[in-house]
Amino acid sequence: MNDLAIHTQGLAKFFGKTRAVDGLDLNVPRGSVYGFLGRNGAGKTTTVKTLLGLLRPTAGSAQVLGYDIRRDLVAILERTGFVPENKTLFDSLTPAQLVRFNQGYFPKWSSELVERYADLLEIPMQVPFAKLSLGNKTKVCHLLALCQGAELLILDEPSVGLDPVITDLLLRLLVEDHVSEGKTVFLSSHQLTEVERIADWVGIIEKGKILLETRLEDIRQNYRLIRAAAETAPAVSSPDLVAVQSSDNFRTYLVARAAEDFAAMLRAKGMTILEILPVSLEEVFLGLTRKEVPCIPGKPGTIPVPA
Amino acid sequence: MYPWKAWHDSRSRVVVYILAALCVGALSGMDVVADANWHAYWRTYFKPRVFYNFNFYMDVTLWKLRESVYYGQIAALLAGLSLGASSTGREYGAGTMNFVLTRPSRRWNFVLTDWKVGLAAMVIIVSGLAFPLLPVLCWVHAQGPGNILGCLPSLWVLGAAIYGLSHFTTLVGGSAPKGLILSAATLLTYSFLPTALLEWWHVDMLVRATDWTLRPFESGSWPLSPFDWSVTAFWLAVAAGFLGASLAWIKWREV
Repeated sequence: MNDLAIHTQGLAKFFGKTRAVDGLDLNVPRGSVYGFLGRNGAGKTTTVKTLLGLLRPTAGSAQVLGYDIRRDLVAILERTGFVPENKTLFDSLTPAQLVRFNQGYFPKWSSELVERYADLLEIPMQVPFAKLSLGNKTKVCHLLALCQGAELLILDEPSVGLDPVITDLLLRLLVEDHVSEGKTVFLSSHQLTEVERIADWVGIIEKGKILLETRLEDIRQNYRLIRAAAETAPAVSSPDLVAVQSSDNFRTYLVARAAEDFAAMLRAKGMTILEILPVSLEEVFLGLTRKEVPCIPGKPGTIPVPA
Repeated sequence: MYPWKAWHDSRSRVVVYILAALCVGALSGMDVVADANWHAYWRTYFKPRVFYNFNFYMDVTLWKLRESVYYGQIAALLAGLSLGASSTGREYGAGTMNFVLTRPSRRWNFVLTDWKVGLAAMVIIVSGLAFPLLPVLCWVHAQGPGNILGCLPSLWVLGAAIYGLSHFTTLVGGSAPKGLILSAATLLTYSFLPTALLEWWHVDMLVRATDWTLRPFESGSWPLSPFDWSVTAFWLAVAAGFLGASLAWIKWREV
């Protein structure tokens, strides 16, 4: 059995001249919680839609649970639970009727889980979907995805409209009921705190390309922010350097490993090291994806510095 | 499953249509009998020479039945358009196509399922119109003026073709209003383009072709040849063509 739940090689999806996904290489290990992060328009939803056959890839290849997305789509869909970005289901049906509609498609459907989750998530099962609040609509989408006995859950913006209590409960259910049973969760989200809480892998996408794919533990243990000062910042380059931010005479370096060695190199170039800090996922994400604002000529400010 | 959902979405509309068809059929049946009786009474009372033909009662009955066939065409048209516009293609506009197409089933299966439910509903509605007329139709049929019951399959097939058109245009347009507009545009083009060609450029080929396709439904020719195999086969082919187009479209369209 393939060890990867999702594996893409050079996956691309173009809309005319727009390269929504541009040579994406993803490796999502089975049994992991994978946080798929990116800014608006980075290509997250396009990637998800391509993996589920809603869009046809322009180039490259992709396997989901070992099945090719071009040839074995039905086998993939049988084993994959999906919560879409827009939480829209059939307006005329109640959640109970949506359950009835859905269960016929999935041989491993669990009616016991339906009862349990409907109760825990406080879903009004007899109210037409159109009349539900956004939060309740999101809950229904989760209910349908979680009860189908899927090996892989693809959740696109899973906490839209949910209050903190339900979000917390949902994350716990994902980990306790699904990840603990060896299922994979692919979480596409803007909510970095949620991802940081349950994910063990993260992938950061920007302009359709993967910028970073690593274990979250690796970020916690090895990634560091180095704040340094100098009258004129020297040019530095290192394979460990992930991002640089500049402000007046200060520089903030994000390094992937060997922070002490990198700091020593900066000192040797005449910089004063102010502090070396552990980083959060948010700082890594911002460091990689933030668009630096060019300074106004003659005024100090943030300026882009080439790595 | 999708057949259940398709039926759930269209059932209230279908029930209303069936009731309307039964009412129109019943009224039409009463009208046929009443009018024939009234003409018979009128002839007996005034004995005008003009009505001294041998099967007067039958003639009036047939003449009135032609109106019922006209109602049948209207029913097939309305039922086909309406049911087709409430089919799978509507899911694009409603934003639910993501959900539908991520159920583990071949895409063509959703269209085929929709077709089965829609077509069954359309056949029931058109038949609903004929049902109250059945005693009159059987009586007339027994008198031997031609196979007038054979008109019903022609109406079903015409309805299937219109349903196919509406189903396909809704799939292409992505919503019921767009589907209906595209269908109406197609039907109007089909009706008026041949005449326009004849008027403007004296080209009569299309007029002759269109007339041929509508031959079974023309009151002038009916009921002498109420069931026309070749024309019925033509409409069947049109319906199948639209079904094929819908299957191809849903297979290739991205969401």
